Amino acid sequence: MNRRLWWKLCATLVAGMLALFWVISHLTWETEEAMSFIAESHQRTLRSYGAQAEALYSAGNERALSRWLLSVQEQEDTWAAVIQSDLTPIAGSTFSPRFVDGFGLGRDVSWKIHLYFKENPTIDLPFSDGRTHFVIQLPERMRPGYYWTSSSMLLQVVLPFSVLLLICLLLYRHLMHPLRRLEQATRRFSGGDYSARVGPTLGARKDELAGLARAFDSMAEHTEELIQHQRQRLSDMSHELRTPLTRIEMAVSLAEQQEGDQRLLDRIRSECNGMRQLVEDALTLSWLENETPMLRDENLDLTELIDSIVDDARFEYPEHRLNLQLPASAQLGHSSHRALGQAIENIVRNALDHTPLGGTVCISLQQRAQSWLLSVTDQGRGVPGDLLERIFQPFFRVPAGPGEERSGFGLGLALARRQVQATGGSLSARNAAGGGLVIDIRLPREELET
Amino acid sequence: MGAQLANILIIEDDMTLSGQLSQLLQRGGYAIDCQREGLAGLQVALTSSPDLVLLDVKLPGLNGFSVLKRLRAVKQTPVIMLTACGAEEERIRGLRHGADDYLAKPFSLEELQLRIDAVLRRSRPPLGVREGEAEHLSAGALHLDRLQQQALVGGVALDLTAIQFRLLWQLLAQRGEVLSKPYLYRMVLDREFSRYDRSLDMHISRIRRRLTEFGLADPVQTMHGRGYLFT
Repeated sequence: MNRRLWWKLCATLVAGMLALFWVISHLTWETEEAMSFIAESHQRTLRSYGAQAEALYSAGNERALSRWLLSVQEQEDTWAAVIQSDLTPIAGSTFSPRFVDGFGLGRDVSWKIHLYFKENPTIDLPFSDGRTHFVIQLPERMRPGYYWTSSSMLLQVVLPFSVLLLICLLLYRHLMHPLRRLEQATRRFSGGDYSARVGPTLGARKDELAGLARAFDSMAEHTEELIQHQRQRLSDMSHELRTPLTRIEMAVSLAEQQEGDQRLLDRIRSECNGMRQLVEDALTLSWLENETPMLRDENLDLTELIDSIVDDARFEYPEHRLNLQLPASAQLGHSSHRALGQAIENIVRNALDHTPLGGTVCISLQQRAQSWLLSVTDQGRGVPGDLLERIFQPFFRVPAGPGEERSGFGLGLALARRQVQATGGSLSARNAAGGGLVIDIRLPREELET
Repeated sequence: MGAQLANILIIEDDMTLSGQLSQLLQRGGYAIDCQREGLAGLQVALTSSPDLVLLDVKLPGLNGFSVLKRLRAVKQTPVIMLTACGAEEERIRGLRHGADDYLAKPFSLEELQLRIDAVLRRSRPPLGVREGEAEHLSAGALHLDRLQQQALVGGVALDLTAIQFRLLWQLLAQRGEVLSKPYLYRMVLDREFSRYDRSLDMHISRIRRRLTEFGLADPVQTMHGRGYLFT
């Protein structure tokens, strides 16, 4: 099964989300890092405080140092002091050089500040003697990360929100594009535009939604064909009925003028019979097409069936010759003599109609390995090769030649094909070597029904 | 029944059609009653006991099949359904419902007349079995033995099925008479003739082939539109 859409969603959602999480966490970390250090200018100020304290201390002017400390504390609104640390290891323990080098009473100015602590840290600026320290609690104005709260909001809410919104929008558009096309096509189709198709508007797309579009297209194709077909059938039927109706109307008008003329009544009756036959055939044809019944519940002898049809045909067409090549017996199982008889009758009648007066129609029945082959050959003009298949369409007409009166096939062959198919056989047409049309009926030879 | 052949009830909603039908059938000697609706028709069928009902399938109110079902629950009055399907479809569908016969619209009066006759004949007690019928019949070299169910030509048996023998017997017994297809269907095949049914013609064709195999001239003549004749 085609699962392109599944893979598309996987790629977008799984891989996209992973990348997004990673980028957000990375950016947050980097930003926090960058925002945690005391600004360069403040570091210089603090160092200069340290230097001033050391200078006052070295000068031994303790009162001046005290005054200066007070002024610094007031100025920065914080606490500051100069403290001497006297480290004495006891109980026989010793200093490690690393401890002594790195010892401080507070944080170095170059260290970063933990932004998540509310209290400001104490900064230690040791004097050069190594044991005296200027310590000051970081003044509020020098605290780094002033923009941290808004930055973290931006990174953790606004950024993912916008990216996810964008992904949703893209996914929505990707999914809705074909669905909209489908909706438009459906509206057009139900509005009567049977040529509406979705496929061409989707380009090279091949996912599940394109599959849906293809299914719609093939349904539309089939429905369009069916509707055109039905319209054609209806218009053909009306046309075919109009001719005998006109003749009846003429005959009725004539009969009104010439009272009691038997020939006119006979003509009306024969036209009515023709119309009745047409309607009956049309109903049977649509039944065979719609329900495709299988008519295969009896055994019969093809020779007997063809004999009886030829017997009628010889009576109906006394001006034609019928040449028969039949075996003495031709058993056929799983068939229907009504369906097959009507089909063969129509084919023979069609052949006789297309054969000029005095001409010959040949009917031959041959036994093949798996089937019976019944061929009916006329002496008509034949049918152009590209139209051979179309003579099995209802009411198909071969373009008439000069001086020809009748060239239509009516419903006869269309009905014959469906009837032969209903008994399991097949029907095809070809042109004979010496001119004329040959209709071949192949009927499967199966076990006789008991 | 009086002077009428039979009482026929027509249940059909097309007034023009039922009017014309009743005119034609009245001329043929039947007494006719027309009803337009299923329910009213059913009531008449139940109360006035007609000999035959012509029932349209598409009716206002109660449709033809429902009328038939309710009628059948009480009575076995013969019913011919008038349907609007094709002949073969109607025949196959008809086997499933309880009507005595089916007729597809459009139909001709002759066809309807044949069906009415056939259904009425079936519904009435059969005439006594023919007695005193001959046991042997012969025509030229052809000899039929009814007890043995055999046809012999010059003492050699013809290969015929039982139905084919009965058909040949019937034709020979009424030699010189044209026997109609509906008649032969009833006498030989024990069923009614319907359009597109070629069973009888096929049996005739086999009989002819058997006879000509023995060098006999074909004695069975087809009288087109009328029937068969043994000359």
